[in-house]
Amino acid sequence: MAFLEINHVTKFFPDPDGAGQVCVFRDVAFGVERGEFLTMVGHSGCGKSTILNIIAGLEAASQGGVVLEGREIRGPGMDRMVVFQNFSLMPWMTVTQNVRLAVRSAYPAWSGAQVDDCVRRYVVKQRVGLARAFATEPKVLLLDEPFAQIDALTRGVIQEELVRMWTASRNTVFMVTHDVDEAILLSDRIALMTNGPDARLAEIVEVKLPRPRSRADVIDEPEYARLRSHIIHFLVERSRHLQEQAMAEGRLGSRPFVPTR
Amino acid sequence: MTPAREERLRTVVYSLVLLVSFLILWQGIAGAGGKGGKAAGIPGPLAVAETAWVMLSDPFYDRGPNDKGFGLQLGYSLMRMMGGYLCASVVAILVGVALGSSPALFKAANPFIQIMKPISPLAWMPLFLYTLKNAGQAAVLVIFVSSLWPTMANTAFGVGSIKKDYLNLSRLLQLSWPRRFLQVILPAAAPAIVAGLRISIGSAWVAIVAAEMLIGGTGVGYFVWNEWNNLALNSVIFAIFAIGMVGVLLDFGLGRVAKLVAYSD
Amino acid sequence: MVANLRAGNLDGYLGPDPFNQRAVYENEGFIFMLSKEIWPGHPCCAFAARKDFAEGAPNAFGALFRAIVDATEFAHDKKNRKEISAAIAPRNYLNQPVEVVEAVLTGQFDNGLGQKMNVPDRVDFDPFPYQSMAVWILTQMKRWGYIKGDVDYQKVAAQVFLADQCRDVMKLLGYKAPERNSVPHTFLLGKQKSFDPSKPAEYLGGFPIKRA
Repeated sequence: MAFLEINHVTKFFPDPDGAGQVCVFRDVAFGVERGEFLTMVGHSGCGKSTILNIIAGLEAASQGGVVLEGREIRGPGMDRMVVFQNFSLMPWMTVTQNVRLAVRSAYPAWSGAQVDDCVRRYVVKQRVGLARAFATEPKVLLLDEPFAQIDALTRGVIQEELVRMWTASRNTVFMVTHDVDEAILLSDRIALMTNGPDARLAEIVEVKLPRPRSRADVIDEPEYARLRSHIIHFLVERSRHLQEQAMAEGRLGSRPFVPTR
Repeated sequence: MTPAREERLRTVVYSLVLLVSFLILWQGIAGAGGKGGKAAGIPGPLAVAETAWVMLSDPFYDRGPNDKGFGLQLGYSLMRMMGGYLCASVVAILVGVALGSSPALFKAANPFIQIMKPISPLAWMPLFLYTLKNAGQAAVLVIFVSSLWPTMANTAFGVGSIKKDYLNLSRLLQLSWPRRFLQVILPAAAPAIVAGLRISIGSAWVAIVAAEMLIGGTGVGYFVWNEWNNLALNSVIFAIFAIGMVGVLLDFGLGRVAKLVAYSD
Repeated sequence: MVANLRAGNLDGYLGPDPFNQRAVYENEGFIFMLSKEIWPGHPCCAFAARKDFAEGAPNAFGALFRAIVDATEFAHDKKNRKEISAAIAPRNYLNQPVEVVEAVLTGQFDNGLGQKMNVPDRVDFDPFPYQSMAVWILTQMKRWGYIKGDVDYQKVAAQVFLADQCRDVMKLLGYKAPERNSVPHTFLLGKQKSFDPSKPAEYLGGFPIKRA
């Protein structure tokens, strides 16, 4: 069994219009090895954020479950930490206080001095949103489209920051994103989801690019271009095609699922 | 002069012009007026100013139940108001948090809140006087009732609008209930709560003056009514200004608090 | 009262001075009639105390009693009226303009219809509680239905109006006290012009208008 095992999870939501339920995704199964960086890519509505929430313990799967180090996940825990879009730092606290709160929660037995030390280590140079998550030293780090609302220029800098922090701490990372370039740059493997509703895990591709990867150099690699083309084709054509196939086979309703965040 | 400075100066000048015109108009329509006696009409600003001087130069004397300094009367009113207001604020915030955290509970409680809100606090007075048999306590309870609803509604709204990410974060960090309340929920909802408090203190101050007119004894409301019964309109007008000033100060104080708890998302 | 007169809530009132004279002073009303034109020497303000206070704190009660008798006799003397006006007019007592109080106490007043009046005994002060007055009050209370059933007029009057104690206090303070506790009373208006305190039932029966 893998370090983090997503074991045939299915998620239903109550139909917003009428009676019955809508299936977001069905029978999603994959594993993430310890220290691996896995990214999930797919259109909006395929449920990738929901999968992330299920791993985090903020939501429960309708069928199936998630197993971490052989133990089933039953709710939030300090071994899994989320980096939200926009980092969601609590604006009524200072940056330092935000990180402090996280560290205190992770290590309740630590003294004030120990906490301060840890906070200083993480806050000094690093991006604070990431700092707060990394400071808790979780087993699994979950990134929910963390750079979506950041402008393109800053994004590159923060991505490099992330890679540096991850390389040092080697948490297992599960990230969800729209940005194909980002996925290829950062991940070891990329999971591709079909469109929702009733989305499936279509395939997982390996990113055979050597580390360390710099944005400038990696773009010239032929493997990069191949991967990029493959994924974009998938997103544009194949994900829809697969969905249509499923509809034809009678496995879907005719109404598109409108995701509500 | 910078444009900003110019703008500010212009505003001040306009205000002064408004004030002076108002005073002139007032003096014009005022009659001989006075402390009561051959009064032909409303006392003018000069007469009121004279009374104000007398009132404020010795505000804290106490010469028996019929004659207490204006400062003392203000003190009584403020004390009663604060008693009712503070109790109401605590209750309203706690209940508001509960309602804001549970949409089901809020929907259930909302009809009752909507019914209670428009009831004039003074309509409760007879009921309280009958049950409490104590005019002072009845007044405080009237203030309590009138200060509840704005704070409660705003708190519920503020708590209900907290960004889901913050709440999720507190679940992820496995924050204990008190920690979660003090470090996440309260600060997040604080701007809405303080806005509610600000509205509530306004209605509390209005209510105490009115309540005192009914129950008598001490306080600015009683003072106004007593002076009116004695046709001492100078004192009545002076008291009106004083009541207004206190209202401004109370609101200003809470405005500062609002600035303290404000944050940009 | 004057404020309500001004505000149009009242058209007139029968009330204690100085509020009548105050209405004249404020140009809000005029003096229609003095109550002494209805019943000369009628009782007006009274000092009353609870039984448990009078018996439970006899020294305090006694001191109060003596102070009131003394002050009443002082006020009865017309020489003192101006001084009294100055003393009771300020804010912490009557809170009225001193001219108004003086007009009432000296009996030299404007009646609000342009006439200057001189009625020296417009107001007078007498501490003695004639029990005949209590009997009269009781007949009126019975007349209008405030008390039902039979009432022992003389007994109640003696219990409530402490004429004997008053006489003792007056003598103690060196004032002349009346000989009798009850006297007949005369009225200037109304069907029955005289009241015999020993015949309250007949008096009561003589009224054509009463509560059933």
